[in-house]
Amino acid sequence: MNEDSQKLDNSNAGSEFSDEEIVKSHVELSKTKHEPTKNFLIAPLVFVFVFGCLIFVCSIQLAHSTNSFQLHPPVEVVELTAEEKEALRLERKISSGEKIFAARCASCHQANGLGIEGQFPPLANSEWVSADPGVIANIILKGLKGEIIVDGKKYGTSAAVNMAAVPISDREIANVSTYVRQAWGNTSSEVTEEFISQVRAEHSSRQDQWVGDELKALFSDSFGE
Amino acid sequence: MTTDSPDKIIDRSAKLVFSFFLSSAGLWLLTAAFFAYLAAAKLTDPFFLSTCEFLTYGKIKVAQANAFVYGWGGNAIFAVSLWILARLSQAEVRGSFFLIVAGVIWNLAITFGLLGILDGHMSGHEMLEMPTEVWPAMLISYLIITFLALVIHRSRQIKETIAPQWFILAALLWFPALFLIAWHGLEINTARGTLQTVLSMWYGQSLIWLWLTPVALGAAYYLIPAVLGRTIDKYYLAIFGFWCIAALAPWSVVHHLEGGPVPMWIPAIGTVMSIAMVFPIAVASTNFHATAFLDIGKVWDSLPLRFVIFGTLSYTVSSYIGVVFSLPAVAKITQFTIINEFHFNQRVYGFFSMIIFGAVYFALPRITGREIPIGAKSFHFWTSTFGVLLLLLAYLIGGLTHGVLAGQPSLEWSSAVIGSIQPYFLITKIAFVILAFSQLVFVVNVWRVIFPNPLSLLATGNKEASV
Repeated sequence: MNEDSQKLDNSNAGSEFSDEEIVKSHVELSKTKHEPTKNFLIAPLVFVFVFGCLIFVCSIQLAHSTNSFQLHPPVEVVELTAEEKEALRLERKISSGEKIFAARCASCHQANGLGIEGQFPPLANSEWVSADPGVIANIILKGLKGEIIVDGKKYGTSAAVNMAAVPISDREIANVSTYVRQAWGNTSSEVTEEFISQVRAEHSSRQDQWVGDELKALFSDSFGE
Repeated sequence: MTTDSPDKIIDRSAKLVFSFFLSSAGLWLLTAAFFAYLAAAKLTDPFFLSTCEFLTYGKIKVAQANAFVYGWGGNAIFAVSLWILARLSQAEVRGSFFLIVAGVIWNLAITFGLLGILDGHMSGHEMLEMPTEVWPAMLISYLIITFLALVIHRSRQIKETIAPQWFILAALLWFPALFLIAWHGLEINTARGTLQTVLSMWYGQSLIWLWLTPVALGAAYYLIPAVLGRTIDKYYLAIFGFWCIAALAPWSVVHHLEGGPVPMWIPAIGTVMSIAMVFPIAVASTNFHATAFLDIGKVWDSLPLRFVIFGTLSYTVSSYIGVVFSLPAVAKITQFTIINEFHFNQRVYGFFSMIIFGAVYFALPRITGREIPIGAKSFHFWTSTFGVLLLLLAYLIGGLTHGVLAGQPSLEWSSAVIGSIQPYFLITKIAFVILAFSQLVFVVNVWRVIFPNPLSLLATGNKEASV
């Protein structure tokens, strides 16, 4: 074999432990616990100190990150300011109104709120919408018949149109009228649910649909007459 | 040394079994190296072998890990554990016939398992991808081998046991426990929902921590005193380190689920236990390095010990890096990056394989009575050291780059992020070529010592033919 390897093998052979020696000496070591020494042992102290610190760090970490062993992560609670809450509420109201409009109004008044000339009056830029909220509330609640003039053009037929033929709640009416009053460039005020209830109660005995002039007379202030 | 010394008799009894397991381990090592190269080549060139259905990246990658852990790891563990247990017990290896039969079954099971993987019959559980049909064969053959290892230990001369015996016996017994728990929870009585993911991940990682790691640690605890001729420094800590690994390692591995869809306490406990893993790591590295650095010249001169100390140093450094990566703040960056490759490769190449190489170079001349040329061993050491360091650094730096870049949504993925990781894939490809070459040298070294005759027969046959 190779010269070097022979030399290496021989040099090792002198001081190598036999297996019996390995076992016996280590068994002896584990009985005496540590090698006899003159000075006190630093290593165990260092180990105890380091391990103590580790246990401390681990406990803190465990207490902070296990989420009390719950199955689901904690729900994040975000505190909103009064203005943010108000803006969020209005946003939700308008988006709800938009859905109601799309489902129940857009077939005649069209999604862009421009209506169809001669038949269905526009809602965008219409004094009937931007007038007192009572006007739109009453029209939705009872319906409208006859002809009206919007933005200088004549609309409607003699046939009565009943917007509330399918039952609609006060809350839904409030949402959709708020949407209509603030969409397509309209900038009128919000309509509340309480206001709709009030209007409904006020005209509860009325059976017929409204006629345009009747409403104009009722809300003459806001039509500027 | 007289021919009738007890060590010689033990070595003679272990020779057949050791040679069998070691030569099959060598073949698996080369298989894994081949797959590793293919997988690395596919990452740099997606069209490489893209037309071959059996060699898609997903299959190759899985086949490599399985061939490496069960093929090379398993066979090497059998060879090294049986020999060290026999030597420390001063008892002969008995039941060689059954050991060989069990070994053949084990190797056949893995062969069919890998063919199943390449054919697309994967089970989909981490490190259990081999088709379920081969699992019983693996378990039964493993239990036979473990039983005969326990027989050796039972017939020991000295009743008290020491550190290498604890680690090796524990590893031998932990594997079937892990395997049965995973098998039960994943196939027999399938766990539902999140638990299945957790169990699958837990098995894959625990396999490395509770099977490969303790065997390598045990081998180091044996080789360092055996070569240096001195006892382990601060040996009284070893028992503490052993129980810490037993108690903490199976908990610590779940930190890999950080950020995953599991209850928060699972990765949180994993992180805490990973931090606590500093205990056993510190104990093992103190034991090994305090002993080795008392006589560093001798460590350098003895090639087996050089391998072992490289392995223990790599164990220490990479385990501490692993602890840092388990912290949630760091995991936020490194999770889902190629850092995962770093974890796997540092364990199986940088630590386990290096120590097994050392143990083999220590045991083989004693068992066969034939010395391996020092040049060949030295060449193997330097190429594998260089290859491992290159591989780990590429994965580490590449993984950090990957994590930092992937966390910036403004960057364009394919050009900016992938583009800047590409060079690291190229480096890992080169590293895998170097490692494959180095492992080829190892296998040739081993086979030349185990089977000197076929070559010489062939040579004389040629001479006669030419004459």
